Amino acid sequence: MAITSIIDADIHPAPDPARVAERLPEPWRRRYLSGNTGPGYLNYWNPNGVHRSDAVTEDGERIEGSAVHLARHFFDVYKIEYGILNPENILGIGLSPEPDYAAAQASAINDVFVEEWLPVDSRFRYSIAVAPNDPELAAREIRRLGNRPGVVQVLMPSGARIPYGQRTFHPIYAAAVEHGLPVAIHPGTEGVGISGAPTAAGYPSSYLEWHTGLVGSFMAHLISLVTEGVFIKFPELKFVLVEGGVCWLPPLLWRLDKNWRALRQTAPWLDRRPSEIVFEHVYLTTQPIEEPDRPEHFKMMLEMFPADRIVMFSSDFPHWDGDTPNFAARNFPASMRNRVMHETARALYRLPEVARG
Amino acid sequence: MGRPAGGKRRYVVARTGEIPSGVRRIVELEGRLIGVFNVHGRYVAVLNVCPHELAPVCLGRLGGTTLPSAAGQWVWGREGEILACPWHGWEFDLLTGACLTDRRRLRMYEVTVEDGQIIVMV
Repeated sequence: MAITSIIDADIHPAPDPARVAERLPEPWRRRYLSGNTGPGYLNYWNPNGVHRSDAVTEDGERIEGSAVHLARHFFDVYKIEYGILNPENILGIGLSPEPDYAAAQASAINDVFVEEWLPVDSRFRYSIAVAPNDPELAAREIRRLGNRPGVVQVLMPSGARIPYGQRTFHPIYAAAVEHGLPVAIHPGTEGVGISGAPTAAGYPSSYLEWHTGLVGSFMAHLISLVTEGVFIKFPELKFVLVEGGVCWLPPLLWRLDKNWRALRQTAPWLDRRPSEIVFEHVYLTTQPIEEPDRPEHFKMMLEMFPADRIVMFSSDFPHWDGDTPNFAARNFPASMRNRVMHETARALYRLPEVARG
Repeated sequence: MGRPAGGKRRYVVARTGEIPSGVRRIVELEGRLIGVFNVHGRYVAVLNVCPHELAPVCLGRLGGTTLPSAAGQWVWGREGEILACPWHGWEFDLLTGACLTDRRRLRMYEVTVEDGQIIVMV
């Protein structure tokens, strides 16, 4: 079956720092301009750099740094009908110990994209970034921008101080549901700022270890969201796990269901198997798609959960571990390809069938 | 003009002085982009398509790498002989086309030098 369209659930545009600074009030502007932009990263060594070195125009400008370049050199090239823009340079600030600076930066970056990028191309959709460690400020940001055209999601770092099912975060989910927005988490800040150690075992020694282990925080958040009853309390909430791949999910849910059968008493609001709750509320994006030696093994994993309903294509452009649409699509059985490549995302983000303009 | 014996055509892509050691040039031959590299005086030609996700591999980083070593030891070597794909960083041995971490290989073309001209056989 031919693929009839492509919706990309994870693209990373980079805002111009000068434009961000213009939108920051003092005292944050002078601080930002001085180079003190947040808690920094662990800076594990990736010899390839995090950004693809070839994602530049003929003039040497970064493609992700301009709305026009991104439209022409990525959306046009791969015939992307819609793309979800998950902003760069914001997830780290979400782990800042300074909530007001974090919230101000998130607002400034969100405004750059909502006011300067979304109008450039009708294929763009945007995830508003929030710093979740002050949930009231995060909820305020969702209410400030949640009704703006083109805003389709709330984005948070998966690096975290405590798991996201906990009650302190619920104001974020209440605000998201009010505006009909899914909440997405994205890896990359594990170990940054006030987050816990990047793995449950502590601090690894290399990018290879750190990056491989990132899915661990997804597992912890997912278990927490389900067992704390977030999806019982917010039955309309949808949660998107962006950039974790897919194959880890079925065995984790087998464990969770098994434990629930014995320990239901400790989470009495769970009125059905945890896996059922997950399949009603949680979505995964494809990248970095797993590449077993035998491709049929990947297809077997897809049979172990309703992948046709909850998996969405993502490229992660322009990052070093991205997947092209064709490379991702061919891993899925033909009968599922349109679901993964655009139909599931179209329904989740309520994207009209034909792109405007 | 028919193909010579062996089915390959000879293309002069540059004079030797134009691609000094450590330098590459991308040329188009028979509709294919091919990277011509000078690796310490030896010329190699590589199809500009990564065997993994079809990236333009010849645009990648050219350099050395850490050599196989005992755990905890760092030994740098092979400077100028390793090409890393600009997308996922897969490392390839430019002298053989082999990937350091996978069975998939670069597509290599035969190169000869005659009278100061670099000739790629396609």
